[in-house]
Amino acid sequence: MRFSRRQLLQSTSCGFGSLALQALCRQQVLANQPALISDTASAAPPATKSQASQGSHPSATAKRVIFLCMSGGPAQLDTFDYKPQTGNKPHPGSVVNFAQHGESGMWVSDLLPETAKHVDKLCMLHGMHADTGIHAQSFLQLHTGERLRVRPSLGSWISYGLGSENENLPGFISLNTSKTSVYSSAFLPSIHNGTPIGVNGEDMSAATLANIASDHLPLAAKRQQLDFVQQLNRGHRTQRPIDDNLESVIQSMELGFRMQTSAPGLLDLSDETQATLDRYRVGQQAKSVGTCKDSDFGRQCLLARRFAEAGVRFIELNHGSWDQHKNHRRDLAANCAATDAPIAALLDDLQQRGLLEETLVIWGGEFGRPGLTPENKKNETGHNPAGFTFWFAGGGMKSGYVHGKTNTTGNKAVEGRVHFRDLHATILHAMGLPANELSYWYQGRDHRLTGPQGGKVAHELFA
Amino acid sequence: MIRLAESVADNTLKPICNATTDAGTMKPLSRLSIPSWNPAVPFRFVSIIAFCCLLLDATPQAISNDKLSTEDLAFFETKIRPVLAEHCYSCHSSDADELGGKLKLDSLDAIRQGGQSGPLFDDDHSPSSLLLKAIRYEDLQMPPDEPLSETIVKDFTDWVQRGAPYPGNDHPKPTTVIKPTPQSNHWAFRSPQRPGSPNLHASPWPSGNIDGFVLAQLQKRGRSPSPVADSRSLIRRLSIDLIGLPPNYQDVLRFEQQHKQNPDHAMEQLVDRLLASPYFGQRWGRHWLDVARYAESNGNDGLGRNSTFPHAWRYRDYVIDAFNRDLPYDEFLIEQIAGDLLPAESDADRDRKLVATGFLALTAKPANAMNKNFAMDIVADQIDVVTRGVMGLSVACARCHDHKFDPISIDEYYALAGIFTSTQTMWGTGAHEKLTAPPTDLHVLKAAAKVPPPEGFAETVLVRESNTGKPKPVPKSKWPLGTPLAMGVRDKAATADCKIHVKGDVGKLGAVVPRGFPAVLQFATSSDVSIDEKQSGRLQLAHWLTRRDHPLTSRVMANRVWHHLFGQGLVQTNDEFGQTGQTPTHPALLDYLATRFVERGWSIKQLVREIVLSRTYQQSCQTSMTEPDPSLLSFHRRRRLDAESLRDAMLTASGDLDLTQADGSIIRHRDILMNLAGNLHQPSHRRSVFLCYLRQSPPPELSAFNLPDFSTSVAKRETQTLPDQALYLYNNPFVIQQSQSFAKSVLSQTTDSTARIKLIWQRSYQRNPTSDELAGAQSFLQTSQSELETSELVWQSLCQAVLISNEFRYID
Repeated sequence: MRFSRRQLLQSTSCGFGSLALQALCRQQVLANQPALISDTASAAPPATKSQASQGSHPSATAKRVIFLCMSGGPAQLDTFDYKPQTGNKPHPGSVVNFAQHGESGMWVSDLLPETAKHVDKLCMLHGMHADTGIHAQSFLQLHTGERLRVRPSLGSWISYGLGSENENLPGFISLNTSKTSVYSSAFLPSIHNGTPIGVNGEDMSAATLANIASDHLPLAAKRQQLDFVQQLNRGHRTQRPIDDNLESVIQSMELGFRMQTSAPGLLDLSDETQATLDRYRVGQQAKSVGTCKDSDFGRQCLLARRFAEAGVRFIELNHGSWDQHKNHRRDLAANCAATDAPIAALLDDLQQRGLLEETLVIWGGEFGRPGLTPENKKNETGHNPAGFTFWFAGGGMKSGYVHGKTNTTGNKAVEGRVHFRDLHATILHAMGLPANELSYWYQGRDHRLTGPQGGKVAHELFA
Repeated sequence: MIRLAESVADNTLKPICNATTDAGTMKPLSRLSIPSWNPAVPFRFVSIIAFCCLLLDATPQAISNDKLSTEDLAFFETKIRPVLAEHCYSCHSSDADELGGKLKLDSLDAIRQGGQSGPLFDDDHSPSSLLLKAIRYEDLQMPPDEPLSETIVKDFTDWVQRGAPYPGNDHPKPTTVIKPTPQSNHWAFRSPQRPGSPNLHASPWPSGNIDGFVLAQLQKRGRSPSPVADSRSLIRRLSIDLIGLPPNYQDVLRFEQQHKQNPDHAMEQLVDRLLASPYFGQRWGRHWLDVARYAESNGNDGLGRNSTFPHAWRYRDYVIDAFNRDLPYDEFLIEQIAGDLLPAESDADRDRKLVATGFLALTAKPANAMNKNFAMDIVADQIDVVTRGVMGLSVACARCHDHKFDPISIDEYYALAGIFTSTQTMWGTGAHEKLTAPPTDLHVLKAAAKVPPPEGFAETVLVRESNTGKPKPVPKSKWPLGTPLAMGVRDKAATADCKIHVKGDVGKLGAVVPRGFPAVLQFATSSDVSIDEKQSGRLQLAHWLTRRDHPLTSRVMANRVWHHLFGQGLVQTNDEFGQTGQTPTHPALLDYLATRFVERGWSIKQLVREIVLSRTYQQSCQTSMTEPDPSLLSFHRRRRLDAESLRDAMLTASGDLDLTQADGSIIRHRDILMNLAGNLHQPSHRRSVFLCYLRQSPPPELSAFNLPDFSTSVAKRETQTLPDQALYLYNNPFVIQQSQSFAKSVLSQTTDSTARIKLIWQRSYQRNPTSDELAGAQSFLQTSQSELETSELVWQSLCQAVLISNEFRYID
């Protein structure tokens, strides 16, 4: 089954209607993969072999994603992947103290005492690996599957595949973002573009949706004004039948209007108790320490919970930079301190509200770092894409579970290896989307998040 | 290439030279040759590729089946072959979907031959043989997914030390026929030919050749064109399309009169007036600035640093001026690619040509720190802007591997790359931040005015140590304050051919490729171009691109012009004319336009003029089709004002528009990391083209309407409708300020509410309101009074309503 934009617009009543319909048609969608909606503005795809793929119909284990993006390359050996010294000769490994936690007995660094209390919710992936130690490229690959070109971001693919749960809000929100290419819908219809709130370096407490409010007119007058605009627009439209664009503008003017009332409330934390704000450490991050920049990660986590409750499909949070080269111990501690309690509070709240089961929380960055040798005075690390750590929580994943491992020095994934494309496949699978079949026809071929090689779903991770 | 390799395997082609096995020191066979199309030679880029293959066939004597012992055979079949089959053949055999690194491992000859990275074995079959290094993950890291086990690596080491015994071609693995090279009779790879007149049923409709080609297709489908648009729509459409500004009400009234008396004459007069307007260059220059990914800052280098380009605006002014002067498009391209190598008539002319080369220096660079591919990243952008921007051909894929769809090989990519690696790119100091980009020289202009910073100018951004964040002193400029400088390129003192970078990695160098151009393009006439060893080859590249019979250059530009006038090109994939692009909806029309463009001296204005004076362009937007397909050209497509035109139109309606040209840029004295500077934009009433286009910090008045980020060449603007556009229209301070100015101006002119409403309609829609609209507006004024305190606010609300309505934002 394939819909044209025109059909969608005709049969729905708001700018996000295409997505709503897509979601409604999800059964057909899955049975008739993929590239379901052909946007007439893009190259109309011919019916290709991939359309007829007989993919499995995995049932979704998650409805939404919260991606805690730790930009810069978190040091796996001093956070979650414990590598004590073995043998007589000192070798690279963990240089901070670790302890076992929870019923699962998972090892967690002493730098993350709050997260450590939640290990029994975590599904740890120690076998991550990527292709390059270049930040920009690996960061882009983590988000889009591609290192060198602007391609649709993971959140855009999910929004494209599933639509939004809330017609008053975008399906993909990116907090404290860096460059647009990491939340771009690229060639996917731009309604799947991430909506940025706060640009990296900006004061997150002031961050908001662009142009969300103005005080030049009271709301009632704005409504009257919009009614008059729409009266003009309908008059204009009547003389110009058969123009879908004009119709979709009329509809998106209404959605925009609704966002004015729905979004600011979500961004305004004044209805949260002081106790909650404290648990999340909202606004309490110490000023930047070395590479660790103040990202008000507590506010980001709390906003993420609120967006999740409101039905936003994909929420990305950003904290950086974990790229501590020269002051490894000090800067790593600062990065951990800035994110530890907020993440714990988020996991707590999601669980308390029964949201954790249906929300896939993901923690990780573009690569890891090689370990330091303890007796060596060196306090500097580099980049290591050959083995590093991610974790999942909720979303139907096993909990208190460790998957994969690195070698004794922790610099190479040797078991349970998961490449970014496998990570992407696994996330799409959790969302009920057929990982290697969700595709979009662009410039003469089907494109997919998992790239030409395709990704392997890590089925072992699912509970 | 593949066929040739096969021939080698069949022993039908004897090696003609046994050159050194060091793939890095190939001797160029010929400086550069552009093979003309010869149907008898079905493969491309013959000289270079053949040479590569033959060189790689280094025939290490030890790999031979002459004396293959039973023991060796058994060892191979039990220990080696199964591993090759399981781990290697999927990419390295005749059956591979995509051959990796041009290496096959499934026959003796193929193994002897090696691949892109060179021979697999050292002469003495030592452990440092490439094959062993690769499986030990020392160099190439093969197989890519997972290293082989220690045992297997040991088996392979033994095997190599035995002399890599391999059963010969008498018991080969069954091979299938190799797919031939992608066909190169793709329409866009042949020079356009002036098409004959179309076959038409007699019709009075066509006014010229363009209409003939369009009507021929319509007749084939049993359709007819739409009637001519009404004269108000026509002048509005033409004004926006040609100068990016709406007409004023008086102009519309005058044109309506003239059009009634003599439509053709009225149209010609109007078009010639608009083409002669200085605003033409501001509109069409802006279109080119999209192609040139023009921006006034580098954009995030991946580490959050974004340095300004304080001199980029000179390139903007150069482009606007070029369009206004109707600089022939071929000269325009030559100046941008090789202006520094051209003779100059005067200092001013020399300045202009140096500024033009800014085209190649506007790259959005990734950080230099920890990025050994930095230099090649810049080259990749330069290749991309030239190939995709000018030729409508993506070559970028070939940075890492042979292009999957178009017959562009990795060799050809590095043949082009050599031109740019021989070129010095000058972006300036990069905000004195070496980690983002090492500082470079700049062109120093001679005739341009010295403009020092205004007295008391102090940089507000502290320069900081990038790692510690501590302030550091502002580095002293190497030029006296106010020296006129320009970004651009020049030839390096030492020019050289470039080596293949396997998988795009500077750490994995392959053979040297002589500089040259993609051979897939088949010119009507053949000629050899030679690159002087002391030059980069940019001038030759520019001349090659602007050959009259270049298959792509004229077509791509004619198509872009069409796109800007119709909202979609005859080839809808503006920057993709290769085999993955769309085929033209009107091939003969495209070739007519392309050849005519060249014949008339590559004049953009002449091309625009001929198109807009056609009946095709002048059709109404109304259509009787129920599923309207604009590509048929049986009606004119209704289009939304783009970000720039919308802002300019609001300024026009409010009366605030300042039509003077900008004097430089707000950042001309600010050589800083703008990510540390907060908002740099300042309110302005000048035309949008003169706003400051900073990457990652677009002008806030424009960003809502699908403004690209200009990190790479822009094919076309998106026209998607998004809810944040509605938010912009409701709440953006610019829109609010314009509705205020608009209301103030209207209120000052008359006290009569009907007259005021008429004025608002005339200044926004260039017409009077209908009686319904008048009544509706009156009633809106009445009801708004209940919510709003002052009458000014009520009028402001009405003005805003009109400015954000569809009729204002769309052109018929």
